[in-house]
Amino acid sequence: MLSVQFCTDNFFTSERGSNVPEKIIEVKGLTKEYKELKAVDDLSFDVYEKEILGLLGPNGSGKSTTINSILSLLKYSSGSIKIFGKEMTPSAYDIKRDIGVIFQEVAVFEELTVYDNIDYFCGLYIRDKKKRREYVEEAIEVVGIGDYKKFYPKQLSGGLLRRLNIACGIAHKPKLIFLDEPTVAVDPQSRNHILEGIKKLRENGATILYTTHYMEEVEQICDRIIIIDKGKIIAEGSSDSLKRLANIEEKISAEIHSLPEKAVEDAKKLKYATDAVYDGTTLSVSYSEGRDNLTRMVDFLRNNNYHYKKLYSERPTLNDVFLELTGKELRD
Amino acid sequence: MFFHNFRYSLKLLLKNKQLVFWTLAFPIIMAVLFNMAFSNIDNTEKLDPIDIAVVEDDGFKNSLIYKNSLESLSKGDDRLFNITYTDEKKAKELLTEHKVTGCFKIVKNEPVLTVNSNGINETVFCYVIDEIKSTGDLVTTLGTEEIKRNIASGKINMDYEAIFTDLTEDVLESDANIKDVSVSNMSYIMIEYYSLIAMACMYSGLLSMTLINYRLANVSAVGKRSAVSSAKKISIIFPSLCASFLVQLVELALLYAVLIFYVHTDFGNEFPKIILLSLVGSVAGLSVGVAVSVLIKAGENAKFTGLVGVIMAGCFFAGMMGVMMKNVIDKNVPVINKINPVAMITDGLYALYYYNSSERYLFDVISLAVFSAVILLISIRGLRRQTYDSI
Repeated sequence: MLSVQFCTDNFFTSERGSNVPEKIIEVKGLTKEYKELKAVDDLSFDVYEKEILGLLGPNGSGKSTTINSILSLLKYSSGSIKIFGKEMTPSAYDIKRDIGVIFQEVAVFEELTVYDNIDYFCGLYIRDKKKRREYVEEAIEVVGIGDYKKFYPKQLSGGLLRRLNIACGIAHKPKLIFLDEPTVAVDPQSRNHILEGIKKLRENGATILYTTHYMEEVEQICDRIIIIDKGKIIAEGSSDSLKRLANIEEKISAEIHSLPEKAVEDAKKLKYATDAVYDGTTLSVSYSEGRDNLTRMVDFLRNNNYHYKKLYSERPTLNDVFLELTGKELRD
Repeated sequence: MFFHNFRYSLKLLLKNKQLVFWTLAFPIIMAVLFNMAFSNIDNTEKLDPIDIAVVEDDGFKNSLIYKNSLESLSKGDDRLFNITYTDEKKAKELLTEHKVTGCFKIVKNEPVLTVNSNGINETVFCYVIDEIKSTGDLVTTLGTEEIKRNIASGKINMDYEAIFTDLTEDVLESDANIKDVSVSNMSYIMIEYYSLIAMACMYSGLLSMTLINYRLANVSAVGKRSAVSSAKKISIIFPSLCASFLVQLVELALLYAVLIFYVHTDFGNEFPKIILLSLVGSVAGLSVGVAVSVLIKAGENAKFTGLVGVIMAGCFFAGMMGVMMKNVIDKNVPVINKINPVAMITDGLYALYYYNSSERYLFDVISLAVFSAVILLISIRGLRRQTYDSI
């Protein structure tokens, strides 16, 4: 079922004009093997200046391994990686100076206050004290933790801790930022704050590589999305173009407590319907075209005396794309 | 960059409660407890020599080394033993009635000790007899060699008894170990304090290990952050080690302050040499901490617990939990204390205060320095590593 799909409408030509921006990251044929397991399998992609590229995939798909390999933390089996046009190596300090990384794990010192944590990590890049103070204050403002400067990490909620984690990675104003699942286990308020902050960073000129398994997030902030599974790219493009790969124009769902098997088969025969599934509570019918489907669905349910509670229409999601391409759900 | 890392390294160490407890509070608490528990032991022992019974049969009379040694240790005001020479039956009665600490006899040229319980007097008794046995073995070896040499040079008519008697006297005069446990020189509490100082030196490893853990990408999340920064590894690690050493110096100074001003330990004129030994010992501790951080694949907590365990084991082998242990290890598995930095430190202190041997002290200092250099060299390869197979 796995096949690499590339959208036809190029993000840069269709949505940003014909000028192709500078490549900030160039990954070619990246492969990382753990004994017999290929965590990353011949991965090639580019990240362009000032874009937010989303790396979307389920847990264990190879997202973090890809980032760690790009950062030269992990030895990779084959492939080449260039950042800012130069080969990335563990001792490429001139490249590292312009990189900021927010790891999946919260990487802060329990013994230091919020301010000191940010100041310490910023100090690994910025020597000038006055400049550093300004940068630290700016980072605190970007993530919205100004009221907690003197707090210790253990005094912060999960969401605030994640924001501190981000501040530590961006305080030195990097040109390229890696965000590896920065919103895991974060409350909706903090998540929105984080996503808004990321957009702000891009507006300020940063290029961002963002990994997540939350499709809503990539749809919300990413200019371009790469979907990976089992270490391979299975689709690449903008959110809209990727959704076209799902061969679904509309999905209508009806909450029904009980439904005979025959009803599902009948639903599949509705006009424009491409698929119908019933999970015990909800009948979902996918359509290849999106005209009058809701009316036909209501008629179908009424004529057959299938009593429904709620009925709603949805546009296809990236999960549908993933389902279409791999036969499984993103969060399986 | 140096001062930035140095300043934050100090903060990280001083705000880590677990570290402060183990490296500062624990040795001081131990010093106070030792003082409370053992401070009267030395005085008590000076007033009360240990009562022992010796079975005076032919076997004993023929064992000159034991006969002469025990006689010399039961003479004078500062004698170690009050000896009752008697037959086996009476000796057992005295032991059963707790009128003596232990009874001694010779069976087939080997010493046999019987004691009622396991206390300090019994430990000293066993230790002394063990020392005499070692001395006897030495005399036998030397005597045999001298006899062989005489025969080889054609000198067949020899006074065998005179050879062994002379050698026994020579060895007894030169052998410091027996004298060391004499009442005038032996101080259990000082041995405990020496082990404590050695332990405090080695606990500097906890400081260095904690900071190095923070710098390695394969050990901690903050290590990953440091590894991807534009700061060179050495520019982070060197200030960390300097900060660890400074904190160690302050903590050692506090421990010595407690030992001198609260516990009233008298270090005499050798204090500068103790300071030197402590500094070298602390470097050895730092090195062990670096090695554990770099070479052992385990979580931060597991490493911390492991290192505390290793140091305590080193203290145990060096005699902290039982004065006899160092001697037992030295005799049966000498290699352990040859590579045990705690034993090297305590031995250096014994060299200063019991053996009065500058050479032995110097040997211990050099051994510690070599030990530190070797451990650091082994660790450097791991420290230089920048990419990992998995993290």
